[in-house]
Amino acid sequence: MRKKVIRSLIFILALIIVLIELIPVILLFLTSIKTNMAIWTSPTPFHPFKPTIEQYIGVFRETTFFKNIFNSIYIALWTTFFSVLGGSLASYALARFPLKRKKEISIGIIFTRMIPQIALAVPIYYMFRKIGLLDTYTGMILAHTTFNLPYVVWLLLPFFQQIPKEFEEAALIDGCSYIKVFTKIFFPLVSSGIIVAIIFCFLGSWNDFIYTLVLSNVKTTTAPMLVTTFVGMYAPEVGKMSAAGILIILPVFVLALTLQRYIIMGLSGGGVKG
Amino acid sequence: MSNRGNKSGGVKPRQIINNIIFLGPVIAFLILMLIYPLVYSLYMSFHKWELTQITPPSFIGLKNYINLFKDPLFWHALKIQIIFICIAIPLELIIGLLIALLFQIEFKGNNIMRTLLLLPFFILPSLSGTTWRFILHPTYGVFGAIYRFLGKEPVDWLSNGTLTFIAVIFQDVWRTWPFIFITLYAALSNFPQELKEAAAIDGASKFQIFFSITLPLLIPAITVACFLRLIDALRIFSEVYVMTEGGPGNATTFLSIFIYKNAFRFFQMGYANAAGYILTTIAMIISAIGLTRIFSREIYEY
Repeated sequence: MRKKVIRSLIFILALIIVLIELIPVILLFLTSIKTNMAIWTSPTPFHPFKPTIEQYIGVFRETTFFKNIFNSIYIALWTTFFSVLGGSLASYALARFPLKRKKEISIGIIFTRMIPQIALAVPIYYMFRKIGLLDTYTGMILAHTTFNLPYVVWLLLPFFQQIPKEFEEAALIDGCSYIKVFTKIFFPLVSSGIIVAIIFCFLGSWNDFIYTLVLSNVKTTTAPMLVTTFVGMYAPEVGKMSAAGILIILPVFVLALTLQRYIIMGLSGGGVKG
Repeated sequence: MSNRGNKSGGVKPRQIINNIIFLGPVIAFLILMLIYPLVYSLYMSFHKWELTQITPPSFIGLKNYINLFKDPLFWHALKIQIIFICIAIPLELIIGLLIALLFQIEFKGNNIMRTLLLLPFFILPSLSGTTWRFILHPTYGVFGAIYRFLGKEPVDWLSNGTLTFIAVIFQDVWRTWPFIFITLYAALSNFPQELKEAAAIDGASKFQIFFSITLPLLIPAITVACFLRLIDALRIFSEVYVMTEGGPGNATTFLSIFIYKNAFRFFQMGYANAAGYILTTIAMIISAIGLTRIFSREIYEY
């Protein structure tokens, strides 16, 4: 009986923690369904108000929302494709080939993930300006790949290393090429790692703000940049900021909620086996 | 025949082709998009290099670095960066650890609540910045409403340096403790249950079990989580840039924001690159220490 009481108390405690933690998200959502007037008159959830979708309509009609979302998706998809393809090939080689100094090469690649992005964005801005890649999709995809590619290597390396050697040795003796071994044997075996890599590359690109701020202008501006254009903080802007913000985090939340298992694997990279 | 039977020690042509196919694209990309920019950045940092380029870049040796070390604003940025890291990360670790331990207990809705707690970590940093800017707003935000509810004149947090700094720390702790929480939770769930049970039978108290068994076993996971947080806290940019633009005054001008402002507000590319190089060097030293510790233990054991 005592145990039951303690468990209910812990349940209530956990529920309070969750509610407190989610207050900013809840506020953002509630603001997105208020009229401009209600944003001003009822700033807390305890003030009653009538829900409306006019802020969302405002975002669709009066801003470049669809254009920005398209840019975000387009850039994120290509970045993910290049990062996961290149990263998985490289981590397979680094885990399996009889290479000299592969430990040093692996750590070197993973090292590049730790470079502060702003320190890289400044010279990249100048490079791109010289060769005309500013405000182009190619430029944005290249820039986003700089942080995603090392991440994929860091994530997938332990996945490849965990697979027993016998798997490929038999195939190699049978005369299979490394490419065949990779596509037929290894790729399926590390599929969960690949899924994690895809999710996190997409999110990394989707969430990026620095490169969009530095490298893009009108043509390739992504969705996160749109949200920050409302920081003037007048009531109509607050409403649109909330509505656009909710629309941008919605797909991310859906991913996080449905693919929880993969998310936990991906968060700490290869270092921790979740 | 297998192409790994290299008895002579020489590399077979086929292996070279494989190396090129598998590693070539990545190495080429990293050289072009990471190594080259970094070298270029070093080159720029030795020049007086204005973005507007009315005057062509001129070589000035180490002058940018010398000026940087004389610049009180640079030292200020470094100082608040260190203060920020020293307050935010321990807070995140303590909250994350305590709640990870709490969630080890079975209760109704444990699973779904765990997932919900993770959501703030997936909010875009820039959106988190705008959201907090809005929450702290004296007219529209909840903070203003609380002040009015208490019968006081609302205080604009973002116009006071100390309060803004606290707000930035608060924002960071709010958004990232779930990351430490879920990392430690995953590590805790993988512990062999027998260990704890054996200790319990031996009559060890809960505190003894925690400090002599649980905590030592958690150290690897804590190291990885704190290392990743440290790297991210060192380069914090988007959320602060959106939330405060480094202000009021320079109260939240962290190193990344200092670099950004010098490059794109004052157009001092050489100076900005010098500062960028110092930040990169700090990050590399921390990574060298962190990665060798993580890697020596976890991955290269085979």
